[in-house]
Amino acid sequence: MRTVLKKILTAMRGGVNELGEAVVDGQGNRILEQELRDAEQELKQAKQELAALMAESASLARQIRVEQDSASKREQDASKALAAGQEDLAREVAERIVGHERRAGELTQTRELLQQRISGLKERVQRAEKQLADYRRELQVVKTNERVLRTTAQIDTNINSNQSSLSTAKETLERIRDRQAREEDRQNASATLEKELTGADLDEKLKAAGIDSEQDAVNDVLARLKGNQAQ
Amino acid sequence: MDTQSLTLALGDATHAGRTFDVMPVAGDEPVLQVVVSGAEETPVYVTVTDTQILCLAYLFDEQELNPERLNELHENMLRLSVPMPLSALGRTGDHYVVYGALSPTSGTTEIMQELVTLAENAIDLLQTFEDYLA
Repeated sequence: MRTVLKKILTAMRGGVNELGEAVVDGQGNRILEQELRDAEQELKQAKQELAALMAESASLARQIRVEQDSASKREQDASKALAAGQEDLAREVAERIVGHERRAGELTQTRELLQQRISGLKERVQRAEKQLADYRRELQVVKTNERVLRTTAQIDTNINSNQSSLSTAKETLERIRDRQAREEDRQNASATLEKELTGADLDEKLKAAGIDSEQDAVNDVLARLKGNQAQ
Repeated sequence: MDTQSLTLALGDATHAGRTFDVMPVAGDEPVLQVVVSGAEETPVYVTVTDTQILCLAYLFDEQELNPERLNELHENMLRLSVPMPLSALGRTGDHYVVYGALSPTSGTTEIMQELVTLAENAIDLLQTFEDYLA
């Protein structure tokens, strides 16, 4: 990942990234994609192998159990034969027991070797998965970088051909200010309209002229009350 | 989400009182120009890759800047990039940009939120950094 990022930065500082020119060249991209496919392939193989080995190990475990069960069952038979004084029969059974135990031992050894291979393979799968994630991340960076360069190049040429040029920041700021001023005007206008509709504007004018109908009404009431008292 | 379904989805949609004017930018790459109502001056460009939906708006070009105050501007851009909602500041070629990336599984609401925020952020940033223009 570090290598990819450094490559991109070096290329950009060198000004290679003019108008859609790929920074990490297509060749590098293809190598990365090939590495990704190889890692994916290795992971797939390792997983298949792992599954096969695990199935084999489970089958061995089953066989070991069968041998052990047979041995313990035969041990009971041998005890019974001894109890019945059948020494020869007991010996014959004992030979069988030895056979079962030997096979169980051999199978156990095979299975232990298998378990070692399984744990080695599990490590390989984990490594491959990590490697794969690394490649994917690298490829994502490279591809996104290329996409951004091509996209901006496309915007630049397209907007360039449609208008005289992409507007400068100053022109944009000018337009923003115009719009903001228009919005403010509109807000003021609607506030004025609101006042007109409710008559608030007239009330304000009348008040400014010293004519306050609210105050007049209060004065009228007071005058009436005073008149009542006087009578 | 690809640019085509995005065009269809944004066409009649409104989000937080905004509408969207979508126009494809001609060329090999699928790029959309989205003009957000109320922030028409800073169109947002959208492109969709396998791994992300990339939205970006142009701020200014290097040639438009006062070269003596470039370091100060960069420092301020880095500082503002962190708290800026949903957007980060960056540079591609000569263009200084404000951009945001979304997961390709994002829904229309998230994308509209991003577009509105980005267009507004671009306006705020332009006005904030106006002093650095040559």
